[in-house]
Amino acid sequence: MEVFFLEGSQGRLFSIYHPAVRARRPRLGLVYAPPFAEEMNRARRMAALQARRLAELGVDVLLLDPFGTGDSAGDFGDARWETWSDDIARAVAWLSERTDGQVGLWGLRLGALLAADVAAADPDRIACLVLWQPVLSGDRHLTQFLRLRLAAAMDKEGPDRETTKELRERLSRGETLEIAGYRLAPALADSIASLQFQSHVHRLGRLPIIWLEVASEEGAALADASQGIVSALERQGHRLTAKAVSGEAFWAAQEITLAPYLLQATDDLFR
Amino acid sequence: MTVVERMTVIERLKRVLRETLQLGDQVNAFDESTGLFGSIPEFDSMAVVNVVSGLEEQFDIEIDDDDITAEIFETVGALTHYIQGKLAD
Repeated sequence: MEVFFLEGSQGRLFSIYHPAVRARRPRLGLVYAPPFAEEMNRARRMAALQARRLAELGVDVLLLDPFGTGDSAGDFGDARWETWSDDIARAVAWLSERTDGQVGLWGLRLGALLAADVAAADPDRIACLVLWQPVLSGDRHLTQFLRLRLAAAMDKEGPDRETTKELRERLSRGETLEIAGYRLAPALADSIASLQFQSHVHRLGRLPIIWLEVASEEGAALADASQGIVSALERQGHRLTAKAVSGEAFWAAQEITLAPYLLQATDDLFR
Repeated sequence: MTVVERMTVIERLKRVLRETLQLGDQVNAFDESTGLFGSIPEFDSMAVVNVVSGLEEQFDIEIDDDDITAEIFETVGALTHYIQGKLAD
């Protein structure tokens, strides 16, 4: 395992490289795009575990903290979607050289949408997409994020109670908001709000795609909305594996939580 | 709403709670009087937001920000009652 800083366009990016522990033909690398804000922290252990397991299966894995997050340079308030896209693209370039093979993207939650967004910009350059619990609507994701602020003030009464509508209005007037300890810049909020997975369906070439979700029950189906996108991707001709496995929403859990069936399902697809 | 329909709502609600709070089978024992916000430490802000999203998805309803209050989340019964109200709309 190698810990280092990758040069990003806005500042250096804390990165952890898990080189493949055994040979694999053809060689494959994966760059991980983490989820948004606090979810990134809560999912860190699962990402680290999966990275090690993939390395044992012969995959070179690069985990990175995008600009303004984790141990990378910059403040969250200065982060922009364009910077994050560029960070991921640079990570792909770095890993392409090290792995001397193809590089795919592995994303969790909003990171899955980021991965799809980056892949859509240049699908020929990306080997595959591994999507964990993809966020399908950036707008909805933003609402949920803004609601964290409402939830924190839940036991207060009176006319000062905020709504997400008001928070969005303040963002549109150029105000950076503090949400659950994170400074959310209007430009980043705007970018997230405008993202829809649906709009990438026709822009991903024929990339092989792995789509995994966790569900509370054994043998559960994918969420309805996910199934719609998955079907559309299948019609586009993508080689696709899509399923739900039993597991918890580890990216949201208060205590570090693992989803062992998700680790296993991911491993199985790389054996 | 009939007794059977009310049972279905509470069971579906419990499913959402099971998915959101890391309590496993404990949720099976929840009934209308079980306390949520303020009673269960796992019910933090992120849990509230995830329960709200889970409910919106599970019941295909839209929850207004104004409805995200301590009262509605006080007990399983209060939340069930709220959902039934939205379904009746």
